[in-house]
Amino acid sequence: MSLAPPRSSTKTSVTGSTTEGAGSVTRRLSSELMQLMMSSSPGISAFPKSDANLFEWVGTIEGAPGTIYAGLTYKIFITFPPNYPYVAPNIKFESPCYHPNVDLTSGAICLDILQDKWSAVYSVQTILLSLQSLLGEPNNASPLNTEAAGLWDSPSEYKVQLMRAYRPISDGPSA
Amino acid sequence: MATDAVRAQVAAKWQDSFNRLNRGQPGITGLMALSEAWNIASEFLHPRDLTTTPTQKEPNMSAIKIAFDVLSKSRMLPMILESFLEDMRKQQHLITAEVNTYMSEFENSSDPRVIGRLVHRLVEWYKAWHPAPELGHTILSAYTLSFQTHVFSVLPPSFPRAFKALVTSTLPKLASDEDQEDEEPPDMSVWGSFETLGLVERYESLIASVCYEHIEAYVLEECRGKWSESMLTGLREWMATKVVPWMVYSYARGAKTPDEAKHMLQGVGSRFDFHICKTLCDLRTSEIFDIIIDYPDSLNALNDLRECLQRVDQRAELVSTLRYANKKRLLHPGADTKDILTQYVSIIRCLRIIDPPGVLLFKVADPIRRYLRERSDTIRCIVASLVGDGESGDSLVDENEPIQPLQTAEVEDYADPHWEPEPIDAGPDFRTNKPSDVISTLVSIYDSRDLFVKELQVLLAQRLLATKDGNFEKERRNIEILKVRFGEAALQVCEVMLKDMTDSRRIDQHVQSQKASVIHPTIISRHFWPPLQATNIVMPGQLQEMQESYAKEFTTFKPDKKLSWLPHLGTVHIDVELTDRTVSTQVPPLEAAFIELFLEKDLWTIEDLVAKLGGVDKASALKSLGTWVDLGVLKEEEDFKYRLLETAEAETSGGRAHAPRPAIAEEPLAVVTVQQQQAEQMRVFWKFIEGMLTNLGSLSLDRIQTMLKFAPTYDRNIDQLGAFMEAARREGLVTVQDGMWKLNKK
Repeated sequence: MSLAPPRSSTKTSVTGSTTEGAGSVTRRLSSELMQLMMSSSPGISAFPKSDANLFEWVGTIEGAPGTIYAGLTYKIFITFPPNYPYVAPNIKFESPCYHPNVDLTSGAICLDILQDKWSAVYSVQTILLSLQSLLGEPNNASPLNTEAAGLWDSPSEYKVQLMRAYRPISDGPSA
Repeated sequence: MATDAVRAQVAAKWQDSFNRLNRGQPGITGLMALSEAWNIASEFLHPRDLTTTPTQKEPNMSAIKIAFDVLSKSRMLPMILESFLEDMRKQQHLITAEVNTYMSEFENSSDPRVIGRLVHRLVEWYKAWHPAPELGHTILSAYTLSFQTHVFSVLPPSFPRAFKALVTSTLPKLASDEDQEDEEPPDMSVWGSFETLGLVERYESLIASVCYEHIEAYVLEECRGKWSESMLTGLREWMATKVVPWMVYSYARGAKTPDEAKHMLQGVGSRFDFHICKTLCDLRTSEIFDIIIDYPDSLNALNDLRECLQRVDQRAELVSTLRYANKKRLLHPGADTKDILTQYVSIIRCLRIIDPPGVLLFKVADPIRRYLRERSDTIRCIVASLVGDGESGDSLVDENEPIQPLQTAEVEDYADPHWEPEPIDAGPDFRTNKPSDVISTLVSIYDSRDLFVKELQVLLAQRLLATKDGNFEKERRNIEILKVRFGEAALQVCEVMLKDMTDSRRIDQHVQSQKASVIHPTIISRHFWPPLQATNIVMPGQLQEMQESYAKEFTTFKPDKKLSWLPHLGTVHIDVELTDRTVSTQVPPLEAAFIELFLEKDLWTIEDLVAKLGGVDKASALKSLGTWVDLGVLKEEEDFKYRLLETAEAETSGGRAHAPRPAIAEEPLAVVTVQQQQAEQMRVFWKFIEGMLTNLGSLSLDRIQTMLKFAPTYDRNIDQLGAFMEAARREGLVTVQDGMWKLNKK
């Protein structure tokens, strides 16, 4: 067992080097962050996980009011590939989400703009908005969670299952 | 039980002694002569009582001489001396009595002359009892020692004080003592008596202290508050003419030639000279703050101080005194920033005189600079004085000082043949500060020059917009000067601003030539100007039409550009034509907009007026309407209703008599100040903080600080962030627990 302090500085520099040559990506992500921070879209938000790495973000999505997800808050992880924005970021739910297009255990999401419909003009903000609307309007044609897709039309039962799976976000540092 | 041997020994001794005393003379004649000689000698030596016995007849010196010879031959001199000293001891009560008499007289009168008489009297006693000098050195010194010992032993404890008073009385008078004009010249003969009685030696330190005190009193009296002339030379002259003669009495009595006296005075003289410097230095140190205020009139005092400091090592005292004075008198909320700056500049100039290498300045300036950094309007004051904002008349900048580029701390050039090491009392963080100009020093209060350039832009914008006659020569000159100081690049923006102003006039001339208009806009390039106060006022009626037609003409002239109006800035010259009169005045546009609305109808509520214009707060609306009420054009009715007075009302019916305000009340500040800009920045940073706390849960202050590097232009330190978070906590936006901050969930 080693009592040496965690070598965080080394780690930082290593992660830093992976971003090297990706200066334009970093710039793009910085400006997206700025844009996201300055826009006041209610219920969606995201921020880099640590100051050393701009490629991993944590996001927060609140269910839109008027939908069955109203008042629920979900945490997501966003990982940007080095060739972002030519390739879509990898997004998955961190908190368990009972939803026809979300895998309850892995958090994987089935959303067209995150797969084949991805385009470089999308941004973190548009992704978050899409996800927020996906919560209220699932695409039951291609479900990841067939049980949820089946229950969608009976809201009261759906709500029971939804709340059983829901875990409120704790305040502890998640990173 | 004496044996024969002992007896023989005693007999031999007896015979020997007898022979010695009898000096081998027949019978006992020798012995008889000896006895007579003894009597003569002891009679001669006997200490007489001066108070009762009148002085005896002149003693027969030859008989005495013979008598002493006899005694000497019989080796009886030590015996007679002893008997003489014994007699003296018996007579000493006489002296004691007299000393007591004089001392009690002094106690009553405090007149040093009494002590003078006492001293003389003691000398009389001394002389009366003095054995003849022919008797040889041994007797004399034994006598002197014994006499002095006795005198010292009977002098009461109050004597040193009395003696001091006497010594003081022999000194040249100070100006403050001059009320006692009756004094005869001091009796310098007492010094002879002092010497005789051994008082000089015994009270040497006391005499010196008298002189020290005298010098101190003189220096304080002569120099206090007199800063306009050099004092040191005068003091030394006074020393040479007044004190040195006195010192000759006290310290160089034995001197036979002037050269010898000079030699004897050398040591003590330099001690006193040191004391002059020290006293003057102490005095000036205590006055230093006011001396600096008086600069440059107090230049001579500063030169004195510099010379004194070279002799006396009082630099640390000077620094601490000045720092204390600054803290107490300058660096408090009651002092105007401009005054602090002025005094700081004076301190710079003054301390540079006293200490050219700048160590003192560095030590004194540090708290001032730290304090100034905390004041919010410091930069504005400095910038205002940079551009010669001649409100108060005096500028911080010396007109004669050549304009030079701002200097930055440079690495020491060790190849410089005139290089000098740092002064010995320089602190570890002392930077050799080459005598740089005042503005450089002021600008260096802050780490960055950008702040100055920004503030400069704001100030320039204000001044340009306030200029009505189109004469920008002064601003142009200022900018040229500032270019030298700050460099071309920093002031490029200011150049553009100035060019905008001249271009505006040219464009206006062109537009007017195409289609005459009453408006003459100033057209500015938004990116190069500090943010201007935004508004969403919509100008009503004909004002709107004028703007539009002008804009149309402008677009034909410059097709690629579009005018975006700031209708609330500027002034309007307006003639209000009413039924019975015409009111002609110059008002801000808001006032014009309001009166324009009264073309539509005569009675408006303030709410309707505000709604019509949009983007006006009620306070400024009230103020604008108040202008018209004062001009007698509108009348205020109950519930904030305003009625147009087509015919003038008699003054009395209004109920209140207004003192007509000046037509143009103070101009609203057109330019967003640097503080407002900073507040805007802080709003951006808050968004980021909100974002990170939403997604990452609770964070420590350190984490927030590092995460904020994602926010562009973030330049706050952790203390500023801490204060900001604390403010956010007071507003109920965040909570903190164990150093972890999180959003306050509503």
